[in-house]
Amino acid sequence: MKALDIIKEANQSLLRNKLRSFLTILAIFIGSFVIIISTGINAGVNDFIDKQMNSVGGEGYLEIMNTNATQQAAAMFSSEVQEYSEEEEEQSTDIYITEEQIEKAKKIDGVKSFDALPSAKAEYLQLVGKDKKIKVAHINLVPRGNLNMDLIAGRKADSDSDNYEIILTQEIAEAFGYKGDSLDDILGKKIYLAIPGTIKCYTVQKHSDCQTKVEAEIVGVQAPGVLAMAGSRVNVALWNKMSEINNEGVPKENTLAVQATADVDPDKIDDIKKEMEDIGLTSMSLEDEIGSIKTFFDAMLTVLKIFGGIALVAASIGIINTLLMSVQERTREIGLDKALGMSNGRVFATFAIEAISLGFWGSLFGIIVSFLIGQAVNFVTHETILSSLPTFQLIIFRAVDLISITLIIMLIALLAGVLPARKASKKDPIDSLRYE
Amino acid sequence: MTENLLTVRGLHKVYGKRDSKFEALRGINLKINRGESVAIVGKSGSGKSTLMHLLALLDRPTKGEILLDGTNTSKLKQRQLNKLRNKEFGFVFQQFFMNANDTVLNNVILPLKIAGVSAKERKRRAMHALTIVGLESKAKNKASDLSGGQKQRVCIARAIVNDPAVIFADEPTGNLDSNTGAKIEEILFSLNREKDITLIIVTHDEELAEKCDRQIRITDGRITSDEDIAEERELAEMAQEEKEERHRKHLSGDMDADGLRDDATVSHVKVKEVK
Ligand SMILES: Nc1ncnc2c1ncn2[C@@H]1O[C@H](COP(=O)(O)OP(=O)(O)OP(=O)(O)O)[C@@H](O)[C@H]1O
Ligand SMILES: [Mg+2]
Repeated sequence: MKALDIIKEANQSLLRNKLRSFLTILAIFIGSFVIIISTGINAGVNDFIDKQMNSVGGEGYLEIMNTNATQQAAAMFSSEVQEYSEEEEEQSTDIYITEEQIEKAKKIDGVKSFDALPSAKAEYLQLVGKDKKIKVAHINLVPRGNLNMDLIAGRKADSDSDNYEIILTQEIAEAFGYKGDSLDDILGKKIYLAIPGTIKCYTVQKHSDCQTKVEAEIVGVQAPGVLAMAGSRVNVALWNKMSEINNEGVPKENTLAVQATADVDPDKIDDIKKEMEDIGLTSMSLEDEIGSIKTFFDAMLTVLKIFGGIALVAASIGIINTLLMSVQERTREIGLDKALGMSNGRVFATFAIEAISLGFWGSLFGIIVSFLIGQAVNFVTHETILSSLPTFQLIIFRAVDLISITLIIMLIALLAGVLPARKASKKDPIDSLRYE
Repeated sequence: MTENLLTVRGLHKVYGKRDSKFEALRGINLKINRGESVAIVGKSGSGKSTLMHLLALLDRPTKGEILLDGTNTSKLKQRQLNKLRNKEFGFVFQQFFMNANDTVLNNVILPLKIAGVSAKERKRRAMHALTIVGLESKAKNKASDLSGGQKQRVCIARAIVNDPAVIFADEPTGNLDSNTGAKIEEILFSLNREKDITLIIVTHDEELAEKCDRQIRITDGRITSDEDIAEERELAEMAQEEKEERHRKHLSGDMDADGLRDDATVSHVKVKEVK
């Protein structure tokens, strides 16, 4: 008898006890379903993060804060009761990045640029020659270095240039009437940023009198995304101009930067972070930021997978039980097979393959149901909670994952089948034939 | 015709251990030639089935040896024994052992499937075997739907599908009424005569035993008599012929002698019926 015969036979004998086989397969299905879905979410999240990483690039990009600031932020969320200390208070109030720190940081080996960023804000955007004004809630910087924006049109704003350049978000570009095919038409257009002078605005009658309109060039449009969050981005020159206007008349010591960005040699990034730490600066790379999101998801999905694994262990006990019953029922049949010359190995194989088949069908149903549910979940989340992230597919099924999950489950089923299959193969043909 | 098939020397079989120890066979010596039909008879529990299982290499003796075609079977590996049983032996069991849920055809195919014969070839051969027992029309039926006699015929078809040298039959007619039993006997003996298959039949049935060339009687695990009926019958036939000759001469008529002789020699099986 050939392998195909054994496989066919194993499945026929599963069909003989439909309900029993079905229940066993159902148990395997539950385990495989949980594992397939959590693997799918894992793949979805990773894929999204990778896409973001690729679109952002950002090797060698560091975001820097005074270590005191991060400690203060941490203290805000801490419920620990602490004794008051004047010294500590004096030190820790110093959350700005000082001139001294900037000088030292710029000298660290591998640091290519270091931009300390005083705050900067604009109030609205207006295309030159048009009336429509779009309110600006938040504006970001395009830092130096190879940090890419998730662009859908144009290019990245050049932070090494002295020209004022801006990248709009897709939503703002659309609000100005440029969407779809006409999106590219907005590139190269001039746009006003209305920039307020903080002090001046206390003194003027009309608010618009304290706004300075600065003209910038639209060089790109960026896709919505997690990292390209909230707001258009400007180059360093424009950022500094905005900050200068904002802080007109403010004493110099009150305009110090709280945050800085640096472009550094990616190979030396770990050393650089340490050296920054020594001068009282805490730095974070994009990997660090993404890493924490990843860690969270990984932990959650690991828990899910463990549940799936537990379900599979329970299912294997089901397999053992089913097959032991089957061996018992088929005692005479086994005796006959052996009397007619079937080898122990073949008897073993018949039951082992029956076990593997149970595993196979269980995971196949797992794949089918997961796929259907996954599609539905993707569709629903795409329309609702993830509608702002069109490139994010929550659940992704990769063939490698599905195949390896199926193989692993078949292996588990095989292991579960060893005991009953051994029992069957050890049966004495004569005793089996005498068995009533 | 007198080529030796099986030689058994000093065969012992002990079941169980210590207190429950039971010696089912206590020194069996035996020779069986190719083409013979041998009946193993004896009281219940005398060890007939035990002997048959040993001869059929389904079990290993506690002591003694079985030579098959001059080969000591105790030297054979399990794999070789399996192959021997699969290729050289056919089995017919008392309780029609078969897979009741499977079709008749699949039941007959089983030995060929085990042997690894291709699907097409094994179907052809199984149909041929079913034709021999006259059940080709039932091939697609479920085995459990058949009558007792039909089931036993399926078992015979299964036993001959691999063209065996020997058929071992344990009470092949034990569960059947006498008519159906006679039909099974016919099939078995015609196979013996036409295909020269050696028959080894365990039976309670004295009538069936008498139709065999040879009867081996077992009592409490020992052979108590081993009559070669074929020889006897030949002698009897010769005596009968002489008597008829004398009778004919006595009548000195021109009567058809052949017709008379046909009745007198008692053909047990009409081969044509079996077909
Ligand atoms: N597996 C076994 N364990 C213990 N004793 C056994 C076993 N098989 C058979 N026996 C004993 O061996 C003896 C011979 O058994 P066997 O089946 O050969 O008898 P038999 O002549 O075929 O009887 P029957 O005509 O009733 O079938 C019996 O007393 C039986 O109880
Ligand atoms: Mg018996």
